Amino acid sequence: MVSKRFIAKRLLLLVPVLFGVATLVFAILQLAPGDPARVIIGQRASAEQIAQVRDDLGLDDPLWVQYGRFLLDAAQFEFGQSYKVAQGRAVRDVLADRLPVTIELALYGQVFGILLGIPLGVLSAIRQDSFTDHATRVGALTGISVPIFWSGPLLILLLSTYLGWLPASGRIGSTIFLPTSWTLFGMELPLTGMVTVDTLLVGQFDAWISAVQHLFMPAAVIGIYSMALISRMMRSSMLEVVRQDYIRTARAKGQGARITLMKHGFRNALIPVITVIGIQFGTLLGGAVLTETIFGIGGIGVTIVDAIGASDYTLVQGTVLTFALLFTLVNLGVDITYSYLDPRIDQ
Amino acid sequence: MSPETTVDRRTFLKAAGGAAATASLAGCIGDGGDGGGDGDDGGDGGSGGTLVYARGDHPENYDPQQTTSGEVAKVTNQIFDQLILFTPGSGGALEDGLATDYSLDGESANVTLREGVTFHDGEEFTAEDFRATYRRFADDSYDYYLGENRSGYGPFTLGNWVDSVNVQGDYELEIQLTQQYAPFLRNLAMFAASVLSKTQIESLGANPDDQVALGTDPVGTGAFALDQIDNENQRVRLTANDDFWGDGPQVDAVVFKTITENSTRVQDVINGDSHITDNLDSQSSQQVEDAGSAELLSKDGINHGYMAMNMARREEFRSKEVRQAIAHAVNTEAIVNQIYEGFASQASQPLPPGVLGRNEDLDPYPTDKEQAEQLLADAGYEGGFEFELATFSNPRGYNPSPIETANQVKSDLEEIGFTVNVNQFSTFSSYLDYTSAGNHDACFLGWYTDNADPDNFLYVLLDPKVDLEDVPDGQDWVSFDTEGYSTLNVSGWANTEYMEMVREAQRTYDEASRRSTYQEANALAHEESPWVFVDYAKTLRAANEAVSSYTISSVGGPYLNTVTIN
Amino acid sequence: MSTETETETAAETAAGRGLLDRLRASPFLSQLLSNRLAVVGLSIIFGMLLVALYARFVLVAPDFGLLFEAPRAFVQGMVSPDISLLTRSRLGTGVPDRAAPGWTVSGVPANERLFGTDASARDIYRRNLYGAWLALKFGTITVGLSTVAGVGLGIIAAYYGDVTDNVIMRTMDVLLAFPSLLLALALVAIFGAGLWKAVAALTLVYTPRFARVVRGAALKVLEDEYVDATVALGAADPRVLVRHILPNTLAPITVQSTLNFGLAIIDLAALSFLGFGAQAGEPSWGLMLDRGVTNGLQTGKWWMSFFPGLFLAITVLGFNLLGDGMRDALDPRMREAVD
Repeated sequence: MVSKRFIAKRLLLLVPVLFGVATLVFAILQLAPGDPARVIIGQRASAEQIAQVRDDLGLDDPLWVQYGRFLLDAAQFEFGQSYKVAQGRAVRDVLADRLPVTIELALYGQVFGILLGIPLGVLSAIRQDSFTDHATRVGALTGISVPIFWSGPLLILLLSTYLGWLPASGRIGSTIFLPTSWTLFGMELPLTGMVTVDTLLVGQFDAWISAVQHLFMPAAVIGIYSMALISRMMRSSMLEVVRQDYIRTARAKGQGARITLMKHGFRNALIPVITVIGIQFGTLLGGAVLTETIFGIGGIGVTIVDAIGASDYTLVQGTVLTFALLFTLVNLGVDITYSYLDPRIDQ
Repeated sequence: MSPETTVDRRTFLKAAGGAAATASLAGCIGDGGDGGGDGDDGGDGGSGGTLVYARGDHPENYDPQQTTSGEVAKVTNQIFDQLILFTPGSGGALEDGLATDYSLDGESANVTLREGVTFHDGEEFTAEDFRATYRRFADDSYDYYLGENRSGYGPFTLGNWVDSVNVQGDYELEIQLTQQYAPFLRNLAMFAASVLSKTQIESLGANPDDQVALGTDPVGTGAFALDQIDNENQRVRLTANDDFWGDGPQVDAVVFKTITENSTRVQDVINGDSHITDNLDSQSSQQVEDAGSAELLSKDGINHGYMAMNMARREEFRSKEVRQAIAHAVNTEAIVNQIYEGFASQASQPLPPGVLGRNEDLDPYPTDKEQAEQLLADAGYEGGFEFELATFSNPRGYNPSPIETANQVKSDLEEIGFTVNVNQFSTFSSYLDYTSAGNHDACFLGWYTDNADPDNFLYVLLDPKVDLEDVPDGQDWVSFDTEGYSTLNVSGWANTEYMEMVREAQRTYDEASRRSTYQEANALAHEESPWVFVDYAKTLRAANEAVSSYTISSVGGPYLNTVTIN
Repeated sequence: MSTETETETAAETAAGRGLLDRLRASPFLSQLLSNRLAVVGLSIIFGMLLVALYARFVLVAPDFGLLFEAPRAFVQGMVSPDISLLTRSRLGTGVPDRAAPGWTVSGVPANERLFGTDASARDIYRRNLYGAWLALKFGTITVGLSTVAGVGLGIIAAYYGDVTDNVIMRTMDVLLAFPSLLLALALVAIFGAGLWKAVAALTLVYTPRFARVVRGAALKVLEDEYVDATVALGAADPRVLVRHILPNTLAPITVQSTLNFGLAIIDLAALSFLGFGAQAGEPSWGLMLDRGVTNGLQTGKWWMSFFPGLFLAITVLGFNLLGDGMRDALDPRMREAVD
């Protein structure tokens, strides 16, 4: 059984890493070219006005003071106001708007990948060295070799441009606007920001269909990549498990190879696959930048590209830190899950 | 529009996709059509429907006092009105807005306001609203003052020129100016001078951070009221203000949607999913031209792209002959026709066409390498010299290919013996830091007009704004650290004759004498050539065939209140 | 029986011999060559290399103007100095179309233009071939630099242990706490855009992966007594590092480099695609894909994005096949079939 001590230890180890991450992100702002004051108030500002803004923002304070302030703020997830992209709005609010968009996309992509990847991996392992196996393996390798910024456009060309089956960009039909809240037993509740959920909460089925149609291609593009990784891992993990003694024993007892594999192999083989799924989720977040860009989806991936383009460094900081935090937490979650599933792990 | 408008944002942004599919899709989505097909729900003859305006960027804060972005202004200009408006498509003529009568007299302006105008929240518009608007923007004794760090437009539009705003009655305003200032009425027409509601300002906290909320729920008097800012889907929806005091609105709603990639956005218009779009480059313009279902609208822009030679830093540039030689050597015709592909015209003087005081007798410097060499020899710099040419990297309206332009200048000048080192900056803000500190030998910059007033070019960009006495006798430049120096003048040029002219014209209320003074000032600037005048970029829009009564304008707008869709 | 121990034994006896000898002596290479997929991967890479060299040294000179930005070529008289020959657009503003007569803007693939032309009338086929040169060149530099940095840091961390180890590896942890493309993007925000800058950013991103792998392998070597013995005999630090530890970490490094090569090529292309890598006119696959998406996706001009992506995917597949094969060859457990 996993001990509380193990979890506590892992959480404690997070602290220096997150501290380092915050420091790196702070350094990015310091090293980035351009005066934030200029970014905010623009070409027309006079030298005095620039000086005033620098003073207001504390940009002329000694570096260590700025650093201390940044760390304190970052600990409270407070990154100040966006310079440009959402000028004046708190970075935290911008992220709160955009994060669900990315998470929704990543979730659907991941589900797609798992639903297809695991069966394919199992099939490949059961029929090891058969044609199916080779085809699946090559297919999987191809899957991870094809960049999403190629598979995305090709899907758009096929399903949108030529066949006209699916919309090529956005998250919902451009004239569909949802209300900003929904009601449950007379209580007004905020929406989730995930459009496939929100459309159902407010009971607009047409809008839900539109949302699903919009989500299909981006989720599939992410899903193909994820499927490739998962099926590879599933295959090798099953073969690994099968090699182990208890399976040999079972087989010696006369059970057929395939039944053995399914019965004993599958569950144990899932353990490393879960790790891959977790790690893959992190990669997905990185891939969100590309997918969102290709499909015109306004999640945090697009936000960071916009923010870099506009030199909106507070927003860059906030977004990068959020990504890193999510990535780290997902990895932590994977480690903990892993230790639950595989008690042999050294605690 | 604002200086922050960029033409092609592809370097950072792209949203492939979008268009083609959505058109063919309308039926199968079952959402009643994707934008374009909505003309039928308004009913009666060409009115009603949802107008979809596609643009390249989605800002999240729609407060005209907290932005320097043209993208914000496109939306706030629908929601808010100014006291005085630019006549659509006129290039700087004025017409009544929330004011019905206005006059400048010495150091004060008297304004009579329109009666019976209400804000979207039902509050009546009165003189107090304008006063609060002004004070929020530029009066640090006001509780709700925004502070200095919200926009460069505060002092620029009102703060520097207005001493006080006095309410003489519900519909009478007296504005005390700090000096006689002829462009003032045009300043009142700028997007940054949009009239906000006092009730709303004072309903928010006095802390500038609380005032941010105004930008997420803007309440104005304009033709359209905000319905929803949908950040997750990068859209803004406005609905018709039925009580609007002016013309229109003709449509029921306006949706601003975001498609970052130029050609995708244009395709969206061609398909009829969007109706109007802007920020076109040559590629996307061609796309519109080739399509039957959309029209390319083009108009002379009120802007100027130039190459400034920094006289404060390089002694060689202090010689007029050297500057003229460079102007003769740089092939601006090739730049405008080949690099900018004809989407700009060759510049001859600081003022673009159509602006008061433009001198039609001036022609661009003809490209003439021999004459350039001769002038250099006359100045004692035979064979040129080595200098740095700073440039930014990302396209801007007045310079859609900064790097190529720099390379063209480099090769032109190296033909007559110069050595040009191109110094390229990755972000525009760091570039502005560099040039406004005067660290460049020569640099590219440009300007989009704020108010279509000649002063906005001739005084703002070429007058150093230092005391005349601070310019040493017989010298026509000053250093960047001279007291009061305006860093918008990136050439260090301080020609006292010129300065006297533009300062005089700034205080002159008589239009005819203003015009002739500016024409003279233009001629002098042409002769002295502190810049290589490169180009005036055209203003381009694409509109779907369903759109009628849309007037393209180089300043103010977009004017969507009169637009109908069929 | 594990190859790891075999390699170690082989390396132990072979200390001082050349790399090639050692490779030949190890069963690794023969294992690898018996893996059909790895051989396919190797062939793909070799083929791309030939294409790259051909594009760089044979093709580019006569067709320079067709490869890079077309308007520059006009302006500088490289292609068609006579501007009056250019067709004018219907705008009536004297806009010359980009292409001279005989050039086709966005042309469909045809005989003389195998992959068609792009929106600037440039030959996509030739640009694609040149893209191979850019991808392999910058991929090699990225992987090379991060390998060197990672190997150095990993070995030093393992050898000196304690504080040095902690400082190095915790720093690596921090870098690993970001999704890789995202960290590269953030770094590009500082460095600015450009292929070389993208290389610098990605090098920093990849280094920790190498450092981790190498440190692990080096620790294993250090556990063996012979290193202790060497140290006892008075060998100086750098000598021990270079002569004894480095050779024994070569195998994992090679696998990691190969797998990372594919990733580097994809990430470089991704940065170019987002506008932070190759700059206007450079025939990099990522940028071509971006332009193809921009100019062709809505209008169904599939060839503009299809071919650059195809080249990119095939190259990456080559490296992945090879890397996969290498990993199998190193870890024979995978080969032990359940039969």
